[in-house]
Amino acid sequence: MRLARALLAGVVAALIVWGSAARATDLTLRFNDPEVKQLRAALDVFEQQNPGIHVKLEQMPWADVMPQTLRETAVGTGPDVMHIAFVWTKDLAAAGALLPLDKYIAADGGSSDYIAMDLATGRDGHAYAVPWTVDCWTMVYRTDLLTQAGVTAIPRTWEELRAASLKVHQVTGKIGFGFPAGSGATNTMWFIANYYWWNHGKALVVSKPGGGFGLGLDQSDIAGAIRYFADYLKQGDSPKSMLAINNWGDPAIIEAMASGEQAIAIMPPANFRQIVAAWRARNPNAGDPPLLSAVMPTELPTSVVNFGGRSLGINANTQHPDAAWKLVQFLKSKPIFTDYYTSQFPARKSMLSTLNFAPGMQGYAQQLQNARSWGPYSDGPVPINTMWNATGRAFGSAFIGELSVDQASEQLLSVIRKGLQ
Amino acid sequence: MRLRARIGDGAILLTAAATLGFLLYPAVVVFSGSMQTNETLFARNRFDLTWDNYRHIFDAGFGTYLSNSLAICLAATLAATVVSVMAAYVFSRRRFRWRRVLLTAVVAGQWFPWIVLVTPLFILFARTGLTNSYSGMILCYTAISIPFSVYLLLGYLETVPRELDEAAMVDGCTPLGALWHVVLPVMLPGVVATATYAFLLCWTEYLLALAFLTQPAMKTLPLGLYQFFGEDTTDWGAVMAGSAVTTLPALLLFLPLQRWLVSGLTAGSVKQ
Amino acid sequence: MMAPARRRTARADQVFVTLMLAPSLLILAAFYLYPMASNVWFSLTDLSLMKLRQGGAYIGLANYADALGGADFWRVVWNTAFWLTAVSVVVRLVLGMALALLLNSAALLRLRLRTLMRLALLVPWATPPIVAVAVWRWLLHPQAGGINRALLWLGLTRHPIAFLADTATVWPAIVLIMVWNTVPVATLTLLAALQSVPRELSEAAALDGAGSVRIFRHVTLPHIMPTIMILAMLMTFWTFNNFVYVWLATGAGPGRYTDVLATEVYLRGFVDFNLGSSAAIGVIMAVAMGTFGLLYVRVLGRRVAS
Repeated sequence: MRLARALLAGVVAALIVWGSAARATDLTLRFNDPEVKQLRAALDVFEQQNPGIHVKLEQMPWADVMPQTLRETAVGTGPDVMHIAFVWTKDLAAAGALLPLDKYIAADGGSSDYIAMDLATGRDGHAYAVPWTVDCWTMVYRTDLLTQAGVTAIPRTWEELRAASLKVHQVTGKIGFGFPAGSGATNTMWFIANYYWWNHGKALVVSKPGGGFGLGLDQSDIAGAIRYFADYLKQGDSPKSMLAINNWGDPAIIEAMASGEQAIAIMPPANFRQIVAAWRARNPNAGDPPLLSAVMPTELPTSVVNFGGRSLGINANTQHPDAAWKLVQFLKSKPIFTDYYTSQFPARKSMLSTLNFAPGMQGYAQQLQNARSWGPYSDGPVPINTMWNATGRAFGSAFIGELSVDQASEQLLSVIRKGLQ
Repeated sequence: MRLRARIGDGAILLTAAATLGFLLYPAVVVFSGSMQTNETLFARNRFDLTWDNYRHIFDAGFGTYLSNSLAICLAATLAATVVSVMAAYVFSRRRFRWRRVLLTAVVAGQWFPWIVLVTPLFILFARTGLTNSYSGMILCYTAISIPFSVYLLLGYLETVPRELDEAAMVDGCTPLGALWHVVLPVMLPGVVATATYAFLLCWTEYLLALAFLTQPAMKTLPLGLYQFFGEDTTDWGAVMAGSAVTTLPALLLFLPLQRWLVSGLTAGSVKQ
Repeated sequence: MMAPARRRTARADQVFVTLMLAPSLLILAAFYLYPMASNVWFSLTDLSLMKLRQGGAYIGLANYADALGGADFWRVVWNTAFWLTAVSVVVRLVLGMALALLLNSAALLRLRLRTLMRLALLVPWATPPIVAVAVWRWLLHPQAGGINRALLWLGLTRHPIAFLADTATVWPAIVLIMVWNTVPVATLTLLAALQSVPRELSEAAALDGAGSVRIFRHVTLPHIMPTIMILAMLMTFWTFNNFVYVWLATGAGPGRYTDVLATEVYLRGFVDFNLGSSAAIGVIMAVAMGTFGLLYVRVLGRRVAS
């Protein structure tokens, strides 16, 4: 009798262990921003809410994510849930790296609340990622330096910006518009150049009316942009040392804006907050910082920039698609943005409208209303990486005089033309 | 004459001072920079000391990276050295049919950049489950170290007279015994120098590690360091602290071995 | 009676050779030969990282024609062969020789600085390249770097110099970083060579009235020339294929100014995702270094595989 009961207990115990082991799911999330600690805390909450699911957190430098993801998914491995850039979704989907999410999104209430859903849709029309965070660039001004130089109004057009920058430099001797002019791996001229073109009503890649994609710029448009920005370096209101700077958030720029050595910059909100924090650290009890964000200069009625942002995608090779979707749902919920991952804006129209923007951030609030997605750039056949690299190199070569402006613009055009074929 | 000697000495002293400055100043910058915050690094006249950068990097996992690097690199160095000594010995002491071809094939490993190996190796590793594993990285680093190790050791072996092993074998030693008991002790400086090269190579390698080690628990020091060159910004304080932690073990390894390093380097290129 | 023993020994010896060679050959076959063969195959296809699973279609030598015919290609080759390799090897040999002479000098021994100098040499050598680049990028930084601060303070320049962004200074800056990191190897090698010069020779020459420069040129230099030549060859191999220094310092920029063959391999493969083209450049590099190695050794009259 005792033996039988012991055996029964043993069998039941074994069943329980086997059952729970069978239910235990291991997921891997690859998250590539610095807020790893906060996210780990959020994942612990997720694990408590979903016993049996364990989430491992991985991280990779952004510059390496795309090639690594392509390699991994091609051989059948890779993390279950991936943190990817908006503009990578179509290319990753075409390479077979992402799981179609239509049924999950439909069951979740549809996709109308997401910002830039078109970027998260593959070229075959299926949804392949969920837009997660969004931001955009704006101009940032040191209002005290502008006042000191006698610049009375925030520049509205590109010419006004040029004039303001020059005036600040001539009157105060400080840096005017210090933009990162480097052409290294994370080049920023791609963004800045496109803002220039878009706000003149043009674009590098456009959809052709009869279908397909084409160039929206000619050589003179590109040359014009190059000349515009090269002039800052030539006249000195942007120092030549900017040619060594590849990051919009380089400590040199942050420091210069915080300490009043530079008057104008261009950057996303995370770096604006860094400047404010740095200024506050240096000037405690001094009230509000003389820092203002404002929309991109434009020749059009409303200023236009792109939605920058990140999405969450599910690996096409995942063994646990339903669990992975549960994780995605958790990550895109409101508490994540209010309690954990607080440095980013959620890519949801409903959430954005209820957001409180800190003082000085009105520019971002306004600009986000008028941001556009990359659209044809992303839909078209030229890989974003290639355009990014070619633009930075062309501008860089022209800035240093290695190529003439015309040669550089012709070089960029030929790369894009080649890719469009 | 004494004045000339004094001036000569003075010149040597100046040169030595300048050389020391050139060699050591960057290290000084690393250590002092590692103890400053991002703010004071860029400001002109401020200097606050802090251990925060070190705390920050160890929080971010540098302790794990350190132990991973140590385990992988020591194992790979040992494996590469053993295997290379064996190969170099027979290349040196024996003439056999494929000797020239095989030796050229082995040494040819130095002729091309490793980046081209990343994709094929990744496919191989993924299919055999060697990604995110110690054994995968160890095998990989061993393979990379073999070409130049064999070359250096071969050169060194050429300076060890064959009579030594022949005498040992006449006395009844097996060839392996001759290698172990007689030749190896004599060529020890060469082995040490080669092993040091191999270790440094593995310690600093990051392209292959980047592709094969994606889990935080498996990453090595170069990957940890690279992480601080972020997309939006560079955390220079953390970079300096990470640099200090990455350089220190290699330096500590070199110090006791430095006498052997000098004599081991010239190998067969000195004496023909 | 003797013959059977010799035959057994000969076969046993063959087994011995095979066993001793097997581990390295097997490892190399799996981790070097196989990927390199794959790489050669890739170079004959249009394989893209985006279509890794499907594989690439055979396109013959199109990648090679495209690479070799590109307008920029020969400039990249020049960057690699001249600036990256030749200049840095020469600088390291000259500086290494000077430092070796310094270390070997009697004066230094008198001043008791020899050990300190030898230890100091270890510091750059033990520094991983990624750290070396990070530190020197910091030192050369326009706003915060020590070098610019010193130049401004000494009044040698009015504005900070962006060393890594100015075309006039970027290659010297990269060479400086490489030299700092690797001159200890050259120095210690040459030092050992110097120390192996028999003292009787230089003493005899001195007795004959030769000055120290004469002694160096006619006694020392010929004796250590083989070391110098081998060191030069090894450094050439290590430098020509090098990716890390240029990539971390400038990302092949500004523009494409410091693009070298190894960064081309990276850009084509991992940014443009064109693995076929990337592989072709890799093969071209291997052929270049192989040819260089074989010719060099033949010209020297020494055989690598003798």
